[in-house]
Amino acid sequence: MKFQLKNIAIALVATLAFTSCSNDDDSTNQVTGNGNLKVEFDQIYNDADFAANTPYTNSNGEIVTINKAKYIVSNIVLTNENGSTYTIPKNESYYIIDEFTPASTLIELTNIPAGNYTKISYGIGVDQEQFNLGATGQGNFLTQAQDAGMMWSWSAGYKFLALEGTFTSSTVTTDTQFMVHTGQTGTDYNYTTITLDLPENALVRTTITPQIHIMADLKHIIDGTNKIALSDGPMVMGGNKLALVTTNLSNMFEVHHVHND
Amino acid sequence: MKKYFLGLFMLCLLWSCSEDESDEYQNIPISFEVPSNFPDLAYNLENNPLTEKGFELGKKLFYDGRLASDGIVSCGFCHIQENAFTHHGHTFSHGVGEAIGTRNTPPIQNLAFQTAYMWDGATTHLDLQAIIPFTSPIEMNGNFSDAIAMMESDPSYQKLYKQAFADGKINSENMLKALGQFMVMVTSSNSKFDKFRRNESGGTLTQDESEGYALFNQKCASCHATDLFTDNSFRNNGLSINPSINDIGRYKVTELDEDKYKFKVPSLRNIEKTAPYMHDGRFFTLEAVLNHYSSGITNSPTLDPILNNSGTLGIPLTATEKAKLIAFLKTLTDNQYLTDRRFAEY
Repeated sequence: MKFQLKNIAIALVATLAFTSCSNDDDSTNQVTGNGNLKVEFDQIYNDADFAANTPYTNSNGEIVTINKAKYIVSNIVLTNENGSTYTIPKNESYYIIDEFTPASTLIELTNIPAGNYTKISYGIGVDQEQFNLGATGQGNFLTQAQDAGMMWSWSAGYKFLALEGTFTSSTVTTDTQFMVHTGQTGTDYNYTTITLDLPENALVRTTITPQIHIMADLKHIIDGTNKIALSDGPMVMGGNKLALVTTNLSNMFEVHHVHND
Repeated sequence: MKKYFLGLFMLCLLWSCSEDESDEYQNIPISFEVPSNFPDLAYNLENNPLTEKGFELGKKLFYDGRLASDGIVSCGFCHIQENAFTHHGHTFSHGVGEAIGTRNTPPIQNLAFQTAYMWDGATTHLDLQAIIPFTSPIEMNGNFSDAIAMMESDPSYQKLYKQAFADGKINSENMLKALGQFMVMVTSSNSKFDKFRRNESGGTLTQDESEGYALFNQKCASCHATDLFTDNSFRNNGLSINPSINDIGRYKVTELDEDKYKFKVPSLRNIEKTAPYMHDGRFFTLEAVLNHYSSGITNSPTLDPILNNSGTLGIPLTATEKAKLIAFLKTLTDNQYLTDRRFAEY
């Protein structure tokens, strides 16, 4: 019995040695097992941390105060420096980020294979593949979405993003409520995938839980590549404008830094 | 003595299983036969296999007013079986707090063969359709968290969820899947017309019915297509606009100008039982419907081209032709479905 164990141990060590050699040249750093990874979604506005009850002037000259900023993050995929990817199991990979609920802005991914990750990608909204399955695979996410005000009940779907507040402009002189909601319409699905390079690798280890600090610039939602003038219509909830907002989301996110401790 | 007790214990175990007291998942499949005169199923049964307990749970949910904010308005409140699951006599239905809607309650039948739901096609998956009436503030005004809390404290729901689903969870996914199973099962395929189409006994059409069918194929079937009597499209059928509602129809979903005032082409099955007619229930009789098509069409930029023949609006129909069409439409009444105990509230 002892002899057998010894054999196995030798075989194991040999295999590990092999693996580490073929993996990369960092032979001093054995990367095995699973670890965790935290992702923080930090809302900013232009070049400063986002603040509630603060009027911001956008490039249309409209003065905007935001009192709701929520979006669904889904289908997180991590790219390893060796080129392989790790996809968070689909049914665990739906989150509602709410700037006004601080706990929701930091998500923890568990059971991630240890490795050096160079990219993170995720979608904003609930993907069409999932939608086409009907209720299947949604677990209780619809309930969470309804509680968070992110269910789009008239179309039996989700709000992918909700930005709300008040504004004034040269033509709208009294404080007027605005709402920007994206989601599936009869013509566009409006789901978008974001892929971000990490400025330094996220080193997931059994003993290290890296934290990826993502900055989400709320300005971009209506004042990005496409400019949506709220004065033309303060309720942006359908039609072509949603596709324009969705395009804006592509440039809204940036990884500021990664903590590896 | 010990042996005796053991025997008794075993007997109890057996007893409880056969008496349906078990909390275990009961995978008793229901086989769903597509009627031979129907098109293919649109609903993917592999994602939500029909089981006896899933269907039973779905039916219980369908008739449970406790899902609504007032504890009263169930799905079955407006969808009454003997009227092909419509709200007989109601132009519009009343939801919680006596709120009144703006569209006529559509029937529930053969939904698993369709690809868009609601008059404007606001949703395209049957599982998710239930979200709309369940959460609409003027219908059930329901909330998933409240409904789940209610069901979690109800022993019969606790048991049914465990019996109906392998994971046994009381959550929005399983709730909608069970309702989906119930709605998939609500099929109407045994009218006189169906028997005629399948050469079954009881399927002999009278001369009027037969001539009505020929007229129907000539004048109506381009939109009311297939044996489901809908092509699943959205069309403006020339109803004058009710200014107090100005229901823009499909435009609400797409915001495309060409979709203004378009509504889903409804199935005509059991039409004899589903008055009043049209998206706003404005016509109380089939005669009024046919009079609309022959002489009541209002022109507008989105009027369906089929209803405009070089400036002549509508479908020419004589009084005799109308009578024959109505005789035919009544062959679509399916008494087996209208009285099927499996779908009944009590």
